[in-house]
Amino acid sequence: MEPEKKVATGENHLRLPFGLLGFERVKNYALLTRPHEEPFFWLQMLEDAKHAFLIVSPFIAVPDYEPEISQQDVDYLGLTSPADSLIYNIVTLRGSGPATINLKGPIVINRHTMIGKQVIPNNAATFSLHHPLPVS
Amino acid sequence: MLILSRKPGESIVIDGRIIVKIVRLEGDLVKLGIEAPVEIPVHRQEVYAEIQKNNQEAMTNTKASLPRLAVPAASAKGSKNKAAAASNPASPKPSVISEPKTPATRV
Repeated sequence: MEPEKKVATGENHLRLPFGLLGFERVKNYALLTRPHEEPFFWLQMLEDAKHAFLIVSPFIAVPDYEPEISQQDVDYLGLTSPADSLIYNIVTLRGSGPATINLKGPIVINRHTMIGKQVIPNNAATFSLHHPLPVS
Repeated sequence: MLILSRKPGESIVIDGRIIVKIVRLEGDLVKLGIEAPVEIPVHRQEVYAEIQKNNQEAMTNTKASLPRLAVPAASAKGSKNKAAAASNPASPKPSVISEPKTPATRV
């Protein structure tokens, strides 16, 4: 075992064939969690474990969040019903203010294939890029 | 930058596989039709740029300390929204991060 080069397999290996916007060349991530950190999850770069993105279900912040995923993205991901999908959004931690969640660019995952894509929904203009997380 | 003159209904071809067609003009709006293979993402530039910038700002590491949410996780699971049910965070079975044996160094 080489903890620093741990290769995720099976259920915790998430493939983003398009990468994240701005990180198009990074296509393989480990989806990680620590029980005490739920509902947050980590998307950790497989090739460079020093780098990770914090993600969370958007419904924590906006219970009625309804991104309209383009037909092209639905087809690409092979989604046949809403139950096929997982949706997570990227959290930005800010030292001098509340953390925010990006509602314009959700990461939509086919839970069966564990292939995902950061999509720009058709109604992205109605969502905030820096929506504050409800912190206590 | 290559600049081409085109009329509505005319197209350009990029790399033999991407077609950009001038569909129509509406005042100062130009409606473009784009046919590209599925592996080529097409985005409005300004939306792409702001999400790209946000991703770059959001990149961190798994040692970062997390905010405490005001809403307990359980309430999201009880949401009526069907998509919320679909994104029940328990389902993907992510692996649990094992705590390092040596004290973690904070950077």
